Amino acid sequence: MGTYAVRALAALLVAGILAPATALAGVTSYGSVNVNYKVMPSVHAQVVPNYAAGFGPQGGSGSGSTPAPGAGAVLNGGTVDFGNVVVGYQYIYKYAAQVSVQTNDNAGFVVYAEGATDLNGSNPVPTPSTYAIFHTLYWLASSGSNTPYSPAKSFVKTLGVPIAGGAMGIDYSGVGGKPSAGSVVWSYPVSGNVVQGFDYQLRLPGDIPTSQFNVYIVYTVIGN
Amino acid sequence: MRRTNTAALAALAVLTFLAGFSQADALQSLRATKNVVINVVVTPSPPPVAFLHRAAPAPAPAVPATAALAFAKLLEDPFAGPRTIAASSTAWDVAPGGGTMIAQSTVQPPPVPVQFNAKPDPNAIYLHVILHTPDLNVPYGTTVFPCAFEVYTFYDKATYALNDYGQGTSKTGTGTYPIENFPASSYLSWAVPDFSPTFHQYVNSGAPGEKVWTGLMNQAQQHCVDLSIFVPDSLAPGAYTAVIQYNLLVN
Repeated sequence: MGTYAVRALAALLVAGILAPATALAGVTSYGSVNVNYKVMPSVHAQVVPNYAAGFGPQGGSGSGSTPAPGAGAVLNGGTVDFGNVVVGYQYIYKYAAQVSVQTNDNAGFVVYAEGATDLNGSNPVPTPSTYAIFHTLYWLASSGSNTPYSPAKSFVKTLGVPIAGGAMGIDYSGVGGKPSAGSVVWSYPVSGNVVQGFDYQLRLPGDIPTSQFNVYIVYTVIGN
Repeated sequence: MRRTNTAALAALAVLTFLAGFSQADALQSLRATKNVVINVVVTPSPPPVAFLHRAAPAPAPAVPATAALAFAKLLEDPFAGPRTIAASSTAWDVAPGGGTMIAQSTVQPPPVPVQFNAKPDPNAIYLHVILHTPDLNVPYGTTVFPCAFEVYTFYDKATYALNDYGQGTSKTGTGTYPIENFPASSYLSWAVPDFSPTFHQYVNSGAPGEKVWTGLMNQAQQHCVDLSIFVPDSLAPGAYTAVIQYNLLVN
């Protein structure tokens, strides 16, 4: 659509340039003009938490309790809320987030995901008030067969500057304009309109304090 | 006849003795369970380094006579011959449609909020794990990780035993790298250097597993567990997970 619009505009411009010259000469002449134009690459993306029926936590084997989604989790929105989980056990959160990307970039795109901060403890506030997100919260591509023990990769805390604690994203201007290479979660080599779902894993170490923890996971999509 | 009866009675006594021990084990109850999850990242290794016998230098290739003559003329008069102008042989340095990138497009959708309420583990006073090396980044071959994690055990009402086996394995199941499933052998082995430096392949045929250590009533113990992992050449590089189940059995 955009390509045709640019072509039409270019044709009109060429016609506008040639028309006065033709009128002045009073004779008809023919020629050809090479018109170069560039279509600006564009990338659009959306992220939907709890994107499919059946979302929520599973696991905690051996803990004596069965996990259930917290109150903040609603279908197609809200919070990835693991609810109550027991220190020292492992969980998986099914259908945690779905990333949709639309791009005309023939070279595709890369999706990064990072923790805006470490895990922020509250209610009660632990000492220290944060706990490392690294080796605690993991991600993996969604699959019906995923378990709390499926191979997964840990989220990391960003090197950028969280905006409003991460609620408004991350400012990467001071760190080269993009997230670290190690936080790539999805790479797509061509243009298209594509989606990818992700499950999250929570592997709670034995020394994490009992508290409510929160963190923002920020997805950044960059055209290649 | 009398000799046969004596032998039979002796065999019966042995069986009774063994059965008593077996029942003693069977009477143990499971007090607490913990799973240790280890990421195994297999990285490709370069081919092995080897010394090669240096071959004799090959003779220099013969220069064609015409090329040698042209080179001599060029040295004598570098500007001889028709004038040439540097030019691109194509109409554009970058052809239209070549995909010239103006700038990287970046978009950051609203972030995903994540929340959980961490509750205390009532079993932690009896059994807990301190994980020191959650990621094993390994090349091909054997790699040892000293004190990859520590296990703490305690029980205040009776003697106890700590058992382990590959989580999810069974006598008839199937498994994946590195612990696999019986009858295949585990590529992951353990040792508790406080007791012995000998490595043991993880049992991968499910419960009851193998005994790691025992404890007296009110005896608190915390020991390092060393891991040794072997990566066969046939294994593709990538990420794998090892899950070890530790059970605290009490009498």
